[in-house]
Amino acid sequence: MKKEIVAMLLAGGQGSRLYALTSQVAKPAVPFGGKYRIIDFPLSNCVNSGIDTVGVLTQYRPLELNSYIGSGAPWDLDVSDGGVHILPPYMREGEQGTWYKGTANAIYQNIGFLDMYDPEYVVILSGDHIYKMDYADMLAAHKKSGAACTIAVLEVSMEEAKRFGIMNAYEDGRIYEFEEKPQHPKSNLASMGIYMFTWSKLKEYLIADEADPNSSNDFGKNIIPNLLNAGELLMTYRFDGYWKDVGTIDSLWDANMDLLAPHSGIDPYDPSWPIYARTPIRPPHVTGEKAKVSHSLVTGGCEVNGTIANSVLFHSVTVEEGADVQYSILMPNATVKAGARVSYAIIAEGATVEAGATVGAPPDGSEDWGIAVVAAGLDIGEKAVVAPKAMVRENVKGGEQA
Amino acid sequence: MSNTLHGILFAYHSDANLGELTRHRNTCSLPYGGRYRLIDFMLSNYVNAGIRDVGLVVHESYQSLLDHVGSGKDWELSRKHGGLRILPPFSFAEERSGEYRGIMEALSGVYSYLQEVRQDYIIMGCGDIAINLDVDKVFQQHLESGADVTVVCTRKMRGSPRSSTYMSMDDSGRICDMSINPPTAGGAVESLEFYVISKKLLLEMVDYCAAHDLHTFAKDTLLPRLNVLKVMPYIHEGYVARFQSVADYFQNSEDLLNAAVRADLFNPARPIRTKDMSNPSTYYGPDAVSANSLVSDGCYIEGEVINSVLGRGVVVEAGARVINSVLMQGTVVKSGASLSYVVADKGVVINEQRTLMGHVTYPLAIAKGSVV
Repeated sequence: MKKEIVAMLLAGGQGSRLYALTSQVAKPAVPFGGKYRIIDFPLSNCVNSGIDTVGVLTQYRPLELNSYIGSGAPWDLDVSDGGVHILPPYMREGEQGTWYKGTANAIYQNIGFLDMYDPEYVVILSGDHIYKMDYADMLAAHKKSGAACTIAVLEVSMEEAKRFGIMNAYEDGRIYEFEEKPQHPKSNLASMGIYMFTWSKLKEYLIADEADPNSSNDFGKNIIPNLLNAGELLMTYRFDGYWKDVGTIDSLWDANMDLLAPHSGIDPYDPSWPIYARTPIRPPHVTGEKAKVSHSLVTGGCEVNGTIANSVLFHSVTVEEGADVQYSILMPNATVKAGARVSYAIIAEGATVEAGATVGAPPDGSEDWGIAVVAAGLDIGEKAVVAPKAMVRENVKGGEQA
Repeated sequence: MSNTLHGILFAYHSDANLGELTRHRNTCSLPYGGRYRLIDFMLSNYVNAGIRDVGLVVHESYQSLLDHVGSGKDWELSRKHGGLRILPPFSFAEERSGEYRGIMEALSGVYSYLQEVRQDYIIMGCGDIAINLDVDKVFQQHLESGADVTVVCTRKMRGSPRSSTYMSMDDSGRICDMSINPPTAGGAVESLEFYVISKKLLLEMVDYCAAHDLHTFAKDTLLPRLNVLKVMPYIHEGYVARFQSVADYFQNSEDLLNAAVRADLFNPARPIRTKDMSNPSTYYGPDAVSANSLVSDGCYIEGEVINSVLGRGVVVEAGARVINSVLMQGTVVKSGASLSYVVADKGVVINEQRTLMGHVTYPLAIAKGSVV
């Protein structure tokens, strides 16, 4: 049936800058904020904005992401007309078909899917940002201006602007130039990677882009510049809420810590804009006689009998008596045994820090300090030491250093 | 194959002794264990045994229960074929009003449903106990023993005698006597009032009871026939909590602070399911204290929580103290307030600097939505 708007969520990226955390899962499936995975934010935004048809484009390590999304029921996207669709690349007659070559090509390969719903508008989202945004409001602005494309932008500092795609726009919001990571930015309006297109226009440009053998089939590199060069109307849509790209270990850690700061601007407790997640069946968490918990998030199924401060605990984490966890993220089923010390670290799903081991350390001002990461399912042996900024991908034997 | 077992849960009873806690709800929808309702336990036990069809017999004040179970989706019971069926009174409604006087009366109230049951065997009982029961094992024992009726029992006497039934067995293990609501506990085991029986025999019994104006299963149906029917106990060795008074409720809640009880009741191999509410994780503030407590998701704790059980979305402000208490979903304890031996129902607000104290034998129950 015809839909006014369909969302296309780009979830195929590897997220190589998350290193060990994405060796087994796609970036959008990385756990975030105690209860969620990154993809819960754009998916919940869709539902809260009244968008009930979402295509999720997958390519890299889709297994966990596919089973996580499932029927879409946790987001109320298990509807008979629309709902959530997993869209992997596929083969066609005569050995035709390729992997998704770029973000634009991923949408190009799914023109058939979009035409099935015959939408007026398509919003392109990415699966690696933490934010709450009403896409309906953005759509209203898009309709009002009559633009071919509206791009959500965020004001950043001029220094930060060098790391983003920057939209140079007139005062009325009309974009006249797009610069990717400019050395000398002319504006501080950073693209949030959220594009609202009039579908008929986008389709036209996708087909033209596909015909160009020199194109890298990317929205930022090709589609947006092509629209600009052709004189199409592109508008900015200013967003001033919380938004964070969690594509690196540091930004992922930062964004988790932001959930602990009441004034950071991201509030998971706000009932008017809930973030939905697929939640495993777990009893409430338990704090033991010796527990000391402060300034932390703790989730169902956790057993805490040690000290935790400034940390985020996902479901079913165990922190034994005498263990000390500071400024860390413990992903589902992680275990920190008696007397172990974990600070400024990310312990991925199911990993165990054995008794007396040490992972990470507080900042000491040195150049090579950073967040320590222990990959999923690993075992850090008794009294082993994992240095700050270490990226542990293999078990560490008792007493050894990594 | 466990697909041949059908589940019935009776949820028509509001225990008057629970006072404020069951004024607006049926005992089956009483919140317990932080995030659960009592019905979750037996409903999950049924589902974990592979039961696909469950009938939920309700009579009055079942609004909160229906709101909780919904379509049965959270128990995988929202099915095209079978699944959860809510059974309010139908054929019965015009004849007399008031709570069903027993499960046989309740069954004749849903007689046409009972006739349509597609399984050969039925397990039935009241969904107001907290237990992790291996229902499949009960069913297997029923089949192997050749019993006409299997009664789930416990050796741990948990109910108050006046509202409990005790069983005595002969040398072969067969139940030879029952003592129903006696002044003092007597008999080898206490009945948990869950029964496995063939559909055929149950239908005969319902017909007989309807024709003779009999209402109860234990007293009117089983007791007179103990010599002709082979009635066998199934002894549940694990934890079980019954809820017949506010003191029971409080004690059963404190039991959950014991790791062995939790390991039994929340056995991960047979998880207890409940309504998914998409709560975020619980936040603890910089000066929070939390020890020896069971805390659900979505709480916001800046004060002290000790030896307590908290439901979803409870707020304990800075400087507030919650000790030996049970706070249900959405209760707010404002700064400087102090609670001890309190059971606060859903959505209670305790204002600044209030001090409320009950006693372990007489916990203070505060009605749903009260502002103190």
